[in-house]
Amino acid sequence: MSGTAGAATPTGPAYVGLLALPVAGFGLLVWGLLHHSLPWALTLEWVPSLGLDAAFRVDGLAAQMLALITGIGALVFVYAHGYLDHEPRRDRLLAILALFMLAMVGAVSADSVILLFLFWELTSLTSFLLVGWNHADPHARAGARQALLITMAGGLALLGGLILLAQMAGTWTLSGIVAAAPGLRADPRLPAALALVMLGAFTKSAQFPFHFWLPNAMSAPTPVSAYLHSATMVKLGIYLLARLDPAFNDLPFWEFSLVGVGTLTAVWAAALALRERDLKRILARTTVSALGILVLLVGLPSPSAGLAVAAFMFAHALYKAPLFMVAGNIDHATGTRSIDHLMGLRQVMPWTAAVAILAGISMAGLPMSFGFIAKDVITSAKAEAELLALVSHATVLVNATVVAVAGVAAVRVFWGRPEFPRARVREVPWSMRLPPLLIALLALEFEFLPALADPLLLAAAQAISPGLDAGVLSASYRFDNTLTALEITLGLGLLLFLFWDRLHALGHRIHWLDRYGPAAAYEHALHGLARLAAAHTRLLQHGRLSGYLRGTLAALLALACVMLWLEAPPLAWPAPPPEQAVAWSVALVLIAAGAVAALTLRDRLALLMASGLVGYGSAVLFLFAGAPDLAFTQFAVETVLVVVAATALRHFRGEAPRLEEPRLANALFALLAGAGVFLLLLPLAALPPDTALSDWFAAHSLEAAHGRNVVNVIIVDFRGLDTLGEIAVVAASLLAALPLLAGLRNRNHAA
Amino acid sequence: MSLIVPLAIALCVAAGVYLTLSRDLFRMVLGLAVLGSGVNLLLFASGRLGPLAPPIMEAGADALAAGAANPLPQALVLTAIVIGFALLCFGLVLAARLANMARSEDADALRATEPPGGEGHKPAVLEP
Repeated sequence: MSGTAGAATPTGPAYVGLLALPVAGFGLLVWGLLHHSLPWALTLEWVPSLGLDAAFRVDGLAAQMLALITGIGALVFVYAHGYLDHEPRRDRLLAILALFMLAMVGAVSADSVILLFLFWELTSLTSFLLVGWNHADPHARAGARQALLITMAGGLALLGGLILLAQMAGTWTLSGIVAAAPGLRADPRLPAALALVMLGAFTKSAQFPFHFWLPNAMSAPTPVSAYLHSATMVKLGIYLLARLDPAFNDLPFWEFSLVGVGTLTAVWAAALALRERDLKRILARTTVSALGILVLLVGLPSPSAGLAVAAFMFAHALYKAPLFMVAGNIDHATGTRSIDHLMGLRQVMPWTAAVAILAGISMAGLPMSFGFIAKDVITSAKAEAELLALVSHATVLVNATVVAVAGVAAVRVFWGRPEFPRARVREVPWSMRLPPLLIALLALEFEFLPALADPLLLAAAQAISPGLDAGVLSASYRFDNTLTALEITLGLGLLLFLFWDRLHALGHRIHWLDRYGPAAAYEHALHGLARLAAAHTRLLQHGRLSGYLRGTLAALLALACVMLWLEAPPLAWPAPPPEQAVAWSVALVLIAAGAVAALTLRDRLALLMASGLVGYGSAVLFLFAGAPDLAFTQFAVETVLVVVAATALRHFRGEAPRLEEPRLANALFALLAGAGVFLLLLPLAALPPDTALSDWFAAHSLEAAHGRNVVNVIIVDFRGLDTLGEIAVVAASLLAALPLLAGLRNRNHAA
Repeated sequence: MSLIVPLAIALCVAAGVYLTLSRDLFRMVLGLAVLGSGVNLLLFASGRLGPLAPPIMEAGADALAAGAANPLPQALVLTAIVIGFALLCFGLVLAARLANMARSEDADALRATEPPGGEGHKPAVLEP
């Protein structure tokens, strides 16, 4: 991946500063846990007018997440130093990782739903940047886009769901919503709100049918995969569901959705793991599977399910992160992650092999590992809940696959006859050996010294299931059931491990999965969107001016029709003609004659005259309808316009060419526009005019502006600024016309 | 007789729209002029045609006479006339220059800023 060419990236103060962030965060968390009892709460005033506070609250569940975020974060930062030893942009990657860490810390400690959403989206954004880190690789770009689109779409759903919940509960805090939940049962909006929240959580935690983004996000550098896509970010959806679980776990809708989707995800992802050859992708599939189990556990109504969620979340992070680092070490040392080419690495990479064995034991749930304890509490939780037999059998299958994958990652690639020339492959540096070893040893230590982890686990479990009593934890360390279950799982897992290659060949032959699966649906939707945009652009942006005008007119007319239909104004005949009937008639006949003539004339000069007729007709009407100012302006404008038009006319042919155009459609548009204006004018005479403004202008014209001509006063005094703008428009059009005119003149000279 | 005012205005607008939809550049611009006149008349008529005295105070009087016309639409139309005039002059010069450059007075032939023609008159669009 990083290769050996080029100089190693120097370790600067930026790296030390960035590493100090998670270390300090972890230290602060431990200090806080030792000196202050949970929950910690902090509320700052944010937008008081909306009743929004920046509320933070850390209870047992949040503290557990914080421990994972800062603890694993610190080790990932160390690991990244070795993994990216030849990457010149290493400090930038770590800066984004640090930003991600802060977003995660914010997301799990936020009590305000708006803050939770903001931090939630920030984790999606930073994940996008990190997955697309090797941006020269098209797969990395596609994976980053996919992760972003899916988690952001889910984020939108989440926002809607949270706002609905907050409105129903009358509070913007998660703890308030949970407290108000008993009163929300009858609300018809509750199923919709919960479905939206679930959609957000399912996309974030890669549940079926959104599971496919997680394996594709494996294009990210391995420290990112170990941190974001196994230990922390993908657990955020589970975290939110667990947060809301005390409020809704007795709703059948909640229980069935979570158990159903969780089981389906776990089985589906386990089956797909068998089709992969890339070590990282295999691990990613089992991560999805584990997330499915976690969702299933959150959905179980029994109190000990809370303990199972807390224990498994912890155990999974503690074995999956080291395993990802193992995959990264192998990649770093050999340049490949395909299990077909990896054999017997034990001899050259003994440290990595040791880590893989330790983490693999925990993953398989063998005794003497933290994974075993997790498996034990899961078994108790499932025994307590009345599960469908189907779900029980499904989880056994999933566990068998997990055992097989643990075998592949910990045994298969390290044992057997080495395929690599030993001189070429060397063990990775210490900075890449120590972090996974520390995490794996930590998991081991929790098994032998449960007193270290138990208080935190219990606090987290009680945050998920408030009814859980403290004695359950020690009492649940009875391993009889688990050992029986373990025998079945191990036996099945061993079979799967031994027949892995054959099963892979079988799974690879199922082509319809690639064509009809959710991943294919995503691709189809993405291409469909592009095609829709192309077709829509072709339809609307065709480059023909008259077509644009028709489109605009059609929209305007449709709008007018809707308004006429909604308002349905009273239609009335206009007032009887005033005294100047003759003058008016002359004016109106001029206008009408000009308009009709303009329609038919093809000679351009005659057309110009006809349009002038309309203008002069208007001027006559103004003159005899009490608007002498308008009349004079219109006369002047028409005269000058004829001069300008005559100049322009020199550059056109004398007669308009007969072009092919949709005359009937154009006539229809014209008729509709005319009819609309006619309908607009008819009711005017019946409606009393609103003269409030006119009266105000008339009353203040003399006193405030010392002018007797009210129209002039309006223009130059009351609306003087508008008139200044108008003058600017005229000046600008003159300035714009000048170069055009110059161009015309040059061309004529040249011609 | 009484219907002639709305009829004439509607006719003016209809003729303006029809001319504006034309492919011929010159007809299009003159259509704007006719349409503009129609809209000005519409605005003017919306102030109610009736009182005929101009909205100007007599010397010595300190208020408008009772039969004076509504001054507000007049002020608006006055602005519209001037703006419309500027727009038309610029439009005419622009049309002349375009016709001169493209050696065609067909608006549909002005495709210098459009993507290269795809199937028929349709522009080529980047396929996904």
